[in-house]
Amino acid sequence: MKIGFIGLGIMGRPMALNLLKGGHQVTVWARRAESMQPLLAAGAAGAESPAAVARGQELVISMVADAPDVAEVMRAVASAGTPDLVAADMSTIAPAAARRIGEDLAAAGVDFIDAPVSGGEVGAIAGTLSIMAGGSVAGFARAKPAFECMGKNIVHVGAPGAGQVTKAANQIVTGMGVLAVAEAMAFASKNGVDCGKVREALLGGFAYSKILENHGQRMLDRNFKPGFKSWMHEKDLNIVMQTAHELGLCLPGSAATAQMFNAMVGSGLGEEDSIAVLKLLEKLSGQS
Amino acid sequence: MKVGFIGLGVMGRPMALHLQAAGHELHVWVRRPQSAAGLGAVVHATPAALGAACEVVFTVVTSSADVEAVALGADGLIHGLAPGSVLVDCSTIAPDAARRIAARLGEKGIAMLDAPVSGGAQGAIDATLAIMAGGEAAVLERVRPLLEKLGQRIVHVGPNGAGQVAKACNQMIMVAAIEAVAEALRLAAAAGVDCAKVRQALAGGSAASRVLEVMGRRMVERDFTAGIEARLHHKDFGLVLEAARRSGVPVALTASVGQQLNALMAMGLGKDDTSSLLRVLEGG
Repeated sequence: MKIGFIGLGIMGRPMALNLLKGGHQVTVWARRAESMQPLLAAGAAGAESPAAVARGQELVISMVADAPDVAEVMRAVASAGTPDLVAADMSTIAPAAARRIGEDLAAAGVDFIDAPVSGGEVGAIAGTLSIMAGGSVAGFARAKPAFECMGKNIVHVGAPGAGQVTKAANQIVTGMGVLAVAEAMAFASKNGVDCGKVREALLGGFAYSKILENHGQRMLDRNFKPGFKSWMHEKDLNIVMQTAHELGLCLPGSAATAQMFNAMVGSGLGEEDSIAVLKLLEKLSGQS
Repeated sequence: MKVGFIGLGVMGRPMALHLQAAGHELHVWVRRPQSAAGLGAVVHATPAALGAACEVVFTVVTSSADVEAVALGADGLIHGLAPGSVLVDCSTIAPDAARRIAARLGEKGIAMLDAPVSGGAQGAIDATLAIMAGGEAAVLERVRPLLEKLGQRIVHVGPNGAGQVAKACNQMIMVAAIEAVAEALRLAAAAGVDCAKVRQALAGGSAASRVLEVMGRRMVERDFTAGIEARLHHKDFGLVLEAARRSGVPVALTASVGQQLNALMAMGLGKDDTSSLLRVLEGG
């Protein structure tokens, strides 16, 4: 398939590489030209603008930071006037923003799919991302062969925006999950109990989770290298809280968690992995 | 003086009447003609036309977008106000929005004060509002005689936006206090104790507060008719939490109270008084 790819950061670069490995013809554009180098070296073509990246393609994928970025690159994509184009945005943005962008693109004859991912850098490199999609059945079907090069668990959730709603739900569970594991660790450690043993014991029971297993291990190793930067998790939880505010939805756990991530960004932990919430807890409890 | 007024709602109307009673010539722009009925004011077709006729214009509207539209829109005040005139915005909006609007007006030589108020409808009627002003001190001094007709405590907090920051702080403290009073009275009721007596007892001690007095009474009397509609506090909490986020300041209690306000909205109580936070506790 002929695919245009926009945004070559921590996530976008390995995702685009996996499309190349899957035998697709990939054309890339990134805001910083040097980000394009590894892709060009691996056989991708380069374009000089997001509009140029959309010309002559069957599918355009974007993986950028925030809703205004998505809106901007998608406006450029629509301006290319490529017939029968599907545009899949895999960034994490607000459901309402995704719906708005989808409507704008539909007016320009482009079929827009919101398809955010979960699985982090590790999943992006391994091609094992979870992909949660919203949009038309036909558009999803056309994008699916590309999704299959980047992810394993690929679900068409529903109408436009449904993918972003799912991702927001994912961030509620992972945000509170990381905080829960960190609090359990701080609790064990302040009680003078070996955190590694606690984790091992819990892994066999109802508290088992992937987060306890993977993030818990990294907390034990005190390996705070991202992974998933806490400022990005803060941004995603803000999407959750904004949506809850607009809908009149009471989410006390998410609200408390969002404030912990807010404190991380404010106290200079924003560039560290979200498991650095453990450091914040330790500081608050006089453990550091 | 020719004074303009936009936003004749539950707060704005009594404020405009005080200015008129002080001998100023009142000019208004209204969305619905009936809002100006019985005022004896000069009614203008657009905010721009109102601005062209006045030296000072007050706005008391709902959201940042409303102030932006009235001040900077196609027929906005910016197209009518003369250099040297003053816009006094008494709405509660985002500090960023207040700074942005002031900067745009400043390019045309028009001064702006953000001057949000606290004290509710009763404070507006009694002319006892607390007014927290952001902007240049000299501009505040020029309009101080007008503000003194509206309130007793007028504080110059700092440059543009500072008044809105103070108002955000006011809302954090006040609504958290309402939630605290609601939770306390709910606990008293659940324990089979007379809420009216509890309130009366607390009023003499360290827990005494204006909120316990006014909102506590509403809760005890189960009078939930709005002084200030709860939906406005819900709106304000959106602004406060966004400001906290931008500053990287954790506000655990505010965030938690914000969720109770979300639940209040979901129960359809947004047009009732914020003392309805008690009903959220009873319903959930």
